Amino acid sequence: MEMPRSLLRKVPLVFGVLGTAATMFPVDSQALPLFARQTGQNCVACHAGGQFPELTPYGRAFKLTGYTIGDRVKVPLSVMAYGSYTKVSDTSKSDNPAGDFAKNSSPVIGGGSVFAGGKITDNIGAFIQWTYDNYAAQDPNNGAWHGHSAMDNVDIRYADRFINPTRDFIFGVSLNNNPSVSDVWNTSAAWMQYVPGAGVPANQFNDAATPYPGNSSGSNVAGIAAYMYLNKLLYAELGTYRTANGIFSPLSMGLNNAGTTKLQGNNNPYWRLAVTHEWGPHNIMVGTSGNIAHLYDDPTITSDPNSVYKILSTGLDAQYQYILDPHTITAQLAYMRQKTNYSANTVAGNAGLGSPFGFVAADGSLLADPNSSDTTNTFRAKLSYVFQAKYGGSLAYFNLTGTTNTANQTSGYDPATGLITSDPTGALGATALSTRVNGNLSGNPATRGFTYEAFWMPVQYARIGVQYTAYSKYNGASDNYDGMGRNASDNNTLFFYVWGAY
Amino acid sequence: MKEIFLTLVVGLAVAGSGCSNIERSRDLANPNVPAAVTAAQVCSNCHGVDGNSVSPNFPRLAAQQSAYIVAQLENFRGQHRADPAGFEYMWGLSHHLTDAQIKGLADYFSRQAAQPNAPVDAKLVAAGKVIYENGLPAKEAPPCIACHGPKAEGLANFPRLANQHQDYLIKQLQVFQRTDERPNTPMTQIAHLLSTEEMKAVTGYLQSLPIDK
Repeated sequence: MEMPRSLLRKVPLVFGVLGTAATMFPVDSQALPLFARQTGQNCVACHAGGQFPELTPYGRAFKLTGYTIGDRVKVPLSVMAYGSYTKVSDTSKSDNPAGDFAKNSSPVIGGGSVFAGGKITDNIGAFIQWTYDNYAAQDPNNGAWHGHSAMDNVDIRYADRFINPTRDFIFGVSLNNNPSVSDVWNTSAAWMQYVPGAGVPANQFNDAATPYPGNSSGSNVAGIAAYMYLNKLLYAELGTYRTANGIFSPLSMGLNNAGTTKLQGNNNPYWRLAVTHEWGPHNIMVGTSGNIAHLYDDPTITSDPNSVYKILSTGLDAQYQYILDPHTITAQLAYMRQKTNYSANTVAGNAGLGSPFGFVAADGSLLADPNSSDTTNTFRAKLSYVFQAKYGGSLAYFNLTGTTNTANQTSGYDPATGLITSDPTGALGATALSTRVNGNLSGNPATRGFTYEAFWMPVQYARIGVQYTAYSKYNGASDNYDGMGRNASDNNTLFFYVWGAY
Repeated sequence: MKEIFLTLVVGLAVAGSGCSNIERSRDLANPNVPAAVTAAQVCSNCHGVDGNSVSPNFPRLAAQQSAYIVAQLENFRGQHRADPAGFEYMWGLSHHLTDAQIKGLADYFSRQAAQPNAPVDAKLVAAGKVIYENGLPAKEAPPCIACHGPKAEGLANFPRLANQHQDYLIKQLQVFQRTDERPNTPMTQIAHLLSTEEMKAVTGYLQSLPIDK
């Protein structure tokens, strides 16, 4: 991959960001984030090759036993922040490049998190992450960006362990805000993503739609899950989720009513089963998981049972690790199938209408009615290597396939003009049916490609990395996916970041 | 909203502290936690509950000499042993251990029965046996057997080496040879005399030793 000239010109600025980060996070052998302060151990004890969030077998034991190993820390806080530079391959095939690709090729301070928790009692511990996004929203009038902070991952757990030479039984209960955030393998839905991932201007492709396997309850719900791990062989977890309101509202703190996922009732189960084995420096996990979520079409209207749609997610995943200093190798596979049954209101509303956005076929005839259900299949594989917990790289493949649905069609033929709609000149004004860049002409969600990453950790709580995501398919097509000339590869994204924690 | 959250957390904390759990505590700063509890709840994660660690990243402690374990834990606690395996994992964990807990941990692991380790190439084992028993006379390297015993069972401050992971032993020999991270041991001088091939052979022999009842 050739480094673009514009990036080279930004190098001094990027190192300025690095310098700022270094000032914010002074190098000190005692300066370790929260859990490291609690156990007194280095990051590599719990994170494979030091590459968070991936856990080592010991890191998994630490989490499963409720974050309770070690000494209680007086100030149970930790922080992280990152600066980044993102460049989308082609910004010209857009009606509004400045809006669609804001901050393209500009170094930015992306945001950061505050962590709280750790050991509370012999049996209770917590992992609470509060995240600030410096580019959470943009003012539509003046284009100014606004930061926003909200609850990120929460996992508060009670755990106990009965262990002797013939039996090892860990059990616990987790109060958390995202199905699978309680999981300890990094092929689970909540933990497989690249951290950090590209922000503006690429998060419309690179972070949000890369894609990743995911449960559908969102990460701002409230759930209780019970789990057990027997003889380092069998892991089982069963939980259920509900809307994070009332006493559970801290789990969605920072989000407004419309932004909070609304689940119907308390019957939104999550389950997980995994078999594990360790031999020599190797360990392997093969597992399955799933979630049923009953969600309201409009989070602000939760009174109409006919506005509830259901998503069934079922996944298979596997992870292999080889950890023997100086080498760390990880191979991950995850597959998730999601079946969505749309709400009665949606199905009734779409009957006989064709495209819900008013598009027509090329010959002017009505499009088919939207589906009453859809299925997607997400496959993701990742191979990573870290040397001396300092130099690392990874290669990931992703492939999303799914049913074609006219409701997914966000660009198409305008019934008035017979042209594929776009509004480059403002001639259509408010009647414009779609914009480019995220338009989907086929109605098929297929997205496929690779992400490559290389990183360097000069010290254990600082990381400098570069990621490149290359798409061979996006929104159902390789070429001209929006009907106005944009190709999947136009969304290829270069992402450079400097990350630090204290 | 904050109050609700605090209530929740404090409520959980009170519920947890209500039932004292000293028999299964993972607290490393509480002098009242018995050594056997710490061994099972904490040490076992890497070293195995019976001291026969699975991963060669972590040394086997089963049947290790009690005096040697005491000395090493004191070295970790006092931050005198600075090899990566030591400071990355053990400094913090040992920081608040009391003398009595250290002695208890040493006794716990020294009492565990060693299990056979993975087999090693027979040629390498044969070559290693010769080095272990005879040293390397040409380099004036003394035989290992002189201090570590005929069955590599160790004696007091001389550690047991039998059934230890080959990879762990090689890395420690390299620490002795290349660094001052484990000072004040005759191994510094001896390790300087060994080539990488000789290290592989002798450690392969040690990993493959049969269990002596």
